[in-house]
Amino acid sequence: MTLAQHDSFPPRVLVTKIGFDGHDRGSRIVASFLRDAGMEVIYTPPWQEISQVVRLALEEDVDVVGVSSLSTDHLLMPKLMKALDEAGLGHVKVVVGGIVPDEDEALLMDAGVSKVFHPGVGREEIVGGVAEYAAQARQLRSEELVT
Amino acid sequence: MTATGAEAASAGSSLVERVRAGELAAIARLLTELERLSPAAPKLIAEIAPFLGRAQVVGFTGPPGAGKSTLVNAYIGALRAAGKTVGVIAVDPSSPISGGALLGDRVRMNDHTDDDGVFIRSLASRGHVGGLTPAAVRMIDAFDAAGKDVVILETVGAGQSEIDVAQVADIRIVLNAPGLGDDIQAMKSGILDIADILVVNKADLAGADKTFSQLASAVALSSVKANTPVLKTVATKGEGIAELVAEVNAVAEGRSETAETRRRKRARRLLAWAAADLIEAQVRDRSDPRIDALCDNILNGRSSPEEAAKALFEAT
Amino acid sequence: MSDRSDQVVQLPLPGFETAKRQWRSEFDGQMKDKPNPKNRSGVEVKPVYTSDDWDPSSYMDDLGFPGQLPMTRGIYPSMHRGRTWTQRQLIGLGTPEDFNERLKTLIASGASAGSLIPCNSVYRGYDGDEVDPLLLGTCGAVVNTVDDMEICFRDIPIGDFSTALNDPSPFTLLALLLAVAKRRQVPWNRISGTSNQSDYISHFVCNHMFFRLALPGARRVLTDHIVFAQKHLPGWNPLSVVGQHMQQGGATPAEAMGLTLSTAIQYANDCAARGLDPDDFLAKFTFFFDISISFFEEIAKFRAGRRIWQRIVRERFGAQNPKAWRFKFHAQTSGVDLTREQPLNNIARVTAQAIAGIFGGLQSLHTDAYDEVLSVPTEHAARIAISTQEILKREAHLTDVIDPLGGSYYVETLTNEMEEKILSVIEQIDEAGGMYAAVESGLVQKIVGDSALAFQDRVDQGEETIVGVNRFQVSEEDELPRQPLRPPQADVIEAQLERLKRYKSDRDQAAASRAEDDLARAAESEDENVFEKIVDAACAGVTHGEICHRLRDVYGFGNPLIVP
Repeated sequence: MTLAQHDSFPPRVLVTKIGFDGHDRGSRIVASFLRDAGMEVIYTPPWQEISQVVRLALEEDVDVVGVSSLSTDHLLMPKLMKALDEAGLGHVKVVVGGIVPDEDEALLMDAGVSKVFHPGVGREEIVGGVAEYAAQARQLRSEELVT
Repeated sequence: MTATGAEAASAGSSLVERVRAGELAAIARLLTELERLSPAAPKLIAEIAPFLGRAQVVGFTGPPGAGKSTLVNAYIGALRAAGKTVGVIAVDPSSPISGGALLGDRVRMNDHTDDDGVFIRSLASRGHVGGLTPAAVRMIDAFDAAGKDVVILETVGAGQSEIDVAQVADIRIVLNAPGLGDDIQAMKSGILDIADILVVNKADLAGADKTFSQLASAVALSSVKANTPVLKTVATKGEGIAELVAEVNAVAEGRSETAETRRRKRARRLLAWAAADLIEAQVRDRSDPRIDALCDNILNGRSSPEEAAKALFEAT
Repeated sequence: MSDRSDQVVQLPLPGFETAKRQWRSEFDGQMKDKPNPKNRSGVEVKPVYTSDDWDPSSYMDDLGFPGQLPMTRGIYPSMHRGRTWTQRQLIGLGTPEDFNERLKTLIASGASAGSLIPCNSVYRGYDGDEVDPLLLGTCGAVVNTVDDMEICFRDIPIGDFSTALNDPSPFTLLALLLAVAKRRQVPWNRISGTSNQSDYISHFVCNHMFFRLALPGARRVLTDHIVFAQKHLPGWNPLSVVGQHMQQGGATPAEAMGLTLSTAIQYANDCAARGLDPDDFLAKFTFFFDISISFFEEIAKFRAGRRIWQRIVRERFGAQNPKAWRFKFHAQTSGVDLTREQPLNNIARVTAQAIAGIFGGLQSLHTDAYDEVLSVPTEHAARIAISTQEILKREAHLTDVIDPLGGSYYVETLTNEMEEKILSVIEQIDEAGGMYAAVESGLVQKIVGDSALAFQDRVDQGEETIVGVNRFQVSEEDELPRQPLRPPQADVIEAQLERLKRYKSDRDQAAASRAEDDLARAAESEDENVFEKIVDAACAGVTHGEICHRLRDVYGFGNPLIVP
């Protein structure tokens, strides 16, 4: 048996929703097409607590967390970013999709979110973006010492 | 990246030391390294070796819609109430086309997200070096090294690789539920045969009695041990879970093997499959006068295929 | 023409066939083999329609007159001539004080009825003190107590004002409103309006934000709420079946209509099983639909829906009361069609959607603000949305003629074709054992999910054009005069939480806990009216969150998990 090219494993992505909003058409569609693009998608229903998202990201060892937000739930993102960092998941890349007012985008980017995908962004752009962030996360991750 | 929180606290410790200390991030990392058989894996495998051989591996297998994840969720609850720590490997099929997978099972095990005594990892069925089952076996060891008392292996009972995974569990629970079409047909051939315990989940639905009697008579007809218990559960309401736990304990007590023996059995099973594949290829394709002679014997009725195979195996 | 109205038109007309053949060959010459497009529901659309497609001699069977069977042309004899439609704009932001102020402004600018949109935390069944304060009041008004509701309607005579409450099961907002009426000594029979989010099935399938109780509990409370309204609230419409959720969740227009009618059938069966008289309860059923930008398809959807519903109520439920035959619906222009790119284009989209709804014969209309896709709508955008309705009504004269597209070969053919599609959905649900069973088994979720993906595929492959998104993009986006509504300041939220704290400590604790216990007991019993106890609890000072928790303890929290 030979050792694998282990980083050829597909990106692992957590697709989730935090806060109160329950419109999950977007997160379901995105989860489906990330899967169809060959990724391993861990999907959750809406209303996850921040602690739950962190725990899922941790246990599933994901590369990217995608958060769908349609109302104002994106305001919680800075808290999520902080919690991920505190759990030692600083290498995980986080993207947000949905309705985020321009005025709030800076708030999210400052908190460490990698990208906000606004409505109308095509499937290819999302898939390409997520794949790239996953590669970055893997890179950061492999720099961590495994001893 | 900056070392923060958990990592700062564990700076200087090796990954396996951190796993032994129960650090979640370290367990997650070990699972990944072993699943993917990364360059670091051989060293890690050697390092965890002294800590293995405690965990009991319980498999849950059944058709989609039978309520596996919900039953596992309830079963975990019972184990936790008894003070046992749990690791779960939830196998989900990958798309045969894209290789991608949607791993949604664990959200049905939502009761245990905040419990550090439970660790759940989803495993997509495709793309593993040497196959899915060896990857799952290595991940069982990772949980064992992390000190989990019980490792639960959840898989859909469809497709050969999923059935193979189910086989490496020490105690195999095969479940079904009413209303899944032709109930018994919904369970792929071979699945019933591996069962230590059969469960009719969603037993509060109409048709549960029919499913129950079908399973009971299938037990009588198949190569399953005739005394295989058939239980009813309603996982969503926690009904029948205590009975299931008791039955699992009874099966476990009926066996005298140590956990280390069980580990060896898993390895043997892997070896047997690999050997079978190898022999099949050799026998099918190799040009060898002895094989030709044995084939003649089969064709002209002098020996049965089984007798010929035995002769071949003894000659090698 | 009027003197010839009794003559039967002789078809085909002289010269018709020759002219048709000539057109066909000229058309084919120009268009080559370009296939016919299909609408969102999958109906193939031909380039031209004639009496070959719809025979005007079937007028009386297919159309009749407004207010007459089969209701295709509208449910009232005078339709928009007599009374246009209720302008309902969704409002709700921040604190009860903010809501009250906004409501008064809207009334001054012409709104004839108001809708109360609570904060998302309220939708989830929580009081303000149970959630992250960061999100409080960012999407709607924080209404937890009778005091909060009192402030929402300060200076507004609730006995003379129609209120639509976005109030999912267990209908705590209505209970709080009734408690306010009791305080003000306004008799309950003067309270009028609608429970806008009473359709728990559509919530379970598509719009999970309203889902608070597991299915069996939601079913029990809805039926009790209808029974209660039947007895005490003659001016209240306790049920609005929400096709909007199905369509926004991804169902095609035909599927959305079919699933909504199947849902209504389920609720009607549940009411009938409780011994209510179909002539009474069906007269109170109302519907709520999405109007997508697929213009003629939407018009046909509404006309077909009207025709099917009157048949259902008469044939399946034996309703004799003509009021029960009326398919009354509120409609909202679809936010799904609005784009973030070049957002002012959305004004044109909303206009087209609104016209489709008006021609479809709606009773009540909400026009989306063009910036809805950017954030919670600004005041500026909300005003344009209301003006759009006035312009269509008063400047474009869309309401002068009833069902102005009736008799159009295309619209009649399409209405028939949509009717067939809708009926096949209803049949599929019937075969699955009715809507409740079809939702439990996941069938409906699959129908909706598959259509959502299929539509996304069409957009991604450019088969559906979305201006500014997959065609006609511009490099420079419009600069908008944006004064976004910001979430309430932290001190405002603090004051709100302080008020809740005071409310909880100042109330008669013994009476409140007695009422809570009564509620729990009724929920566990088989024969008490749970909604009656909810109203009693609200009157006794129990809060919204407390009521939801007590019911969740009994019925479980609905977790409508759908894995795509």
